[in-house]
Amino acid sequence: MSENSLIYRISEKVQEWLQPDNQSLKEAIERTVRDGLFAEHDIRFQIRHLKESVTQPNLQQWAKKSGLKENSLSGQRVLALHAGNLPLVGFQDILGVLLTGATYSGKLSRKDPWILADFLNDLKNSEFSERVNYSTDPDELPKQPADAVLFAGSTDSVYEVRARLIKSRLAEVGTPFLARMAHFSIAHIDNHDADTMRDLIEAVFRYGGSGCRSVAMVVAPFSLRSEKCTFTDYVEEFWLKNPQHNKPDKSLFHRYAYNRAIGREQAWLDDFLIEESSKKPGDQFVLHWKKGGVEEFKSLVRKHRNGLQAIYSNSLIAERVDDLVIEPLSTAQKPPIWWKPDGTDIIKWLQDRVS
Amino acid sequence: MKAEQLFDSTVPFEERLNRVLQFQMDRNPVYRRFAETFGISPGRNYKPKEIPLLPIQAFKEASLIAEGAEARLQFRSSGTGSMDRSTHHVADAEIYHRSIRDEFFRHFSFKTHTLFCYTPGYAENKGSSLIYMLKELTEADPSGLSRFLPLGKPLTQESLKEPGKPILLFGAAFGLLDLIDFDSAPLPEGSEIVETGGMKTHRRSMSKNELRIKLSEGFETPIFNIHSEYGMCELLSQCYAIGGEWFSTPDWVDVSIRRADNPSELCMPGEEGKIGIIDLANVWSCPFLLTGDRGVMNERGEFRVLGRWNRSDLRGCNFLIDSEL
Repeated sequence: MSENSLIYRISEKVQEWLQPDNQSLKEAIERTVRDGLFAEHDIRFQIRHLKESVTQPNLQQWAKKSGLKENSLSGQRVLALHAGNLPLVGFQDILGVLLTGATYSGKLSRKDPWILADFLNDLKNSEFSERVNYSTDPDELPKQPADAVLFAGSTDSVYEVRARLIKSRLAEVGTPFLARMAHFSIAHIDNHDADTMRDLIEAVFRYGGSGCRSVAMVVAPFSLRSEKCTFTDYVEEFWLKNPQHNKPDKSLFHRYAYNRAIGREQAWLDDFLIEESSKKPGDQFVLHWKKGGVEEFKSLVRKHRNGLQAIYSNSLIAERVDDLVIEPLSTAQKPPIWWKPDGTDIIKWLQDRVS
Repeated sequence: MKAEQLFDSTVPFEERLNRVLQFQMDRNPVYRRFAETFGISPGRNYKPKEIPLLPIQAFKEASLIAEGAEARLQFRSSGTGSMDRSTHHVADAEIYHRSIRDEFFRHFSFKTHTLFCYTPGYAENKGSSLIYMLKELTEADPSGLSRFLPLGKPLTQESLKEPGKPILLFGAAFGLLDLIDFDSAPLPEGSEIVETGGMKTHRRSMSKNELRIKLSEGFETPIFNIHSEYGMCELLSQCYAIGGEWFSTPDWVDVSIRRADNPSELCMPGEEGKIGIIDLANVWSCPFLLTGDRGVMNERGEFRVLGRWNRSDLRGCNFLIDSEL
């Protein structure tokens, strides 16, 4: 690959930033931990994953899959509104925008103001300086309408966010908006081998279960009652290395009391609740457990399609449930750089919608 | 437990409450398990705010009736699938009748008004508690002129003049708007309106204030004569907001606003939370309930219903942006 290629230059920039001796990154991580925003082990996990996934070959593969035309959106400006419930959310958007040649304008999350900012600072001190601007305060962003807006929000908030951006002249009525609204994932397992259980635990409990790729419902061939003790042992093992950073509020205890009252099978882990239920996942710190096989899994995927981000299995890899491809359970928290949040490839979307 | 033990206002509320709590702990295994998780133990006296409130969806997911009791009546909430509907087994119909009448007649009278009921949407639900309640009330009118209005037809001058006194028009909020759309005649002078289920709609959502203005204009009735009723299939008691949006409670009901992140704690006046209800008339099912409604209380202990509680702490990469902008 030519050293002039954008992919080469971006992957070099990312890898350089991720070097262990990068002092400013180290400080950004320390500050994030000190401010209590994220746990250090979760940040390290994410950084390690980026190191492995944002490589030249992977970016090339993403470019191929998305039909990237490098610099085709030169002169266009994309506004990204990041929600920061896990560290470095939005990293993929930044890369996608830069690869298309557009300018990235980012409203960083107040929950993740240091690490992503450090990377963007790095970019600002490089050949990309003219193509990057960011702030945690929307009022500090350039007061000119963007050519596209990316954001994550609830169905209820889409219209309100759009209206506010238009009012503050950050977007226009016709500006293409990419709203991501999926908020949970479902997994299927067909055994309780140690590897499967560890993958499942990682998929459920990493980041306190708060990512949209986190598993909020599992379909397993055994009941929660029969698996409770073993499963809890694996959770303890995970928490020993990765203590849960965010704690649930007391309403979770009320839910536990309610389940107990109505006789619903459950496992109370103090900071997390597992309950036997096929209801649509909604609340944080709750894993829904459903006894069943492949057909039950597919039926629940269809039933809860609205709001569903990804589906995983330890065995049915690459099969489909309607429009969704089943991903390996082990990749739930380690998606490839070309993964499509809410089913949309950011590069392809930008190239199709922004001209 | 008999009606008089619940409704006797000469006995302090807390005393009646603790008797009902004891009864629940003895006879309702669902509530007992719930309360025990919070350390509630028999024999102690509790204040209303100390009593754990069972989430109201228990009426969908469990059978809430005291051990040894039989359901004389059964009410079902509206909804599509059977799993989405609450079932309220009523063991003592007299308690329900008394609760309906006592609170209604605290605010209204058949001496001065004739009750006209308009309830589209509820009419198809065979187990509707609203329809039952309104039947109970229309039958209580000694003149025999109170009645249900035919659905899909406007109110005419003739029908409104027939009783010879002002009308108390009681109906599902959006059904009343339909009546306006059908070009109904204005209500006679002195008439009043009670709307209910304001948030349940097959039409666009509307604030309570907008609704009240529309009803006032559409029926040519002063806005201070527009009232609201707050009731549901899961509760045997009703609350009324007279001439405004603030509801008062019957003597046997305690309403509190609970923190959504910890329903054991009360919100301060003016602070929004989930509406918690202690309805002693529910003694045979479950009187200690946390609703899914959003509400706020004022300094006088009255409450306002602001709609459904929206879960704002949903998981995922999203839902946070709302608080970021």
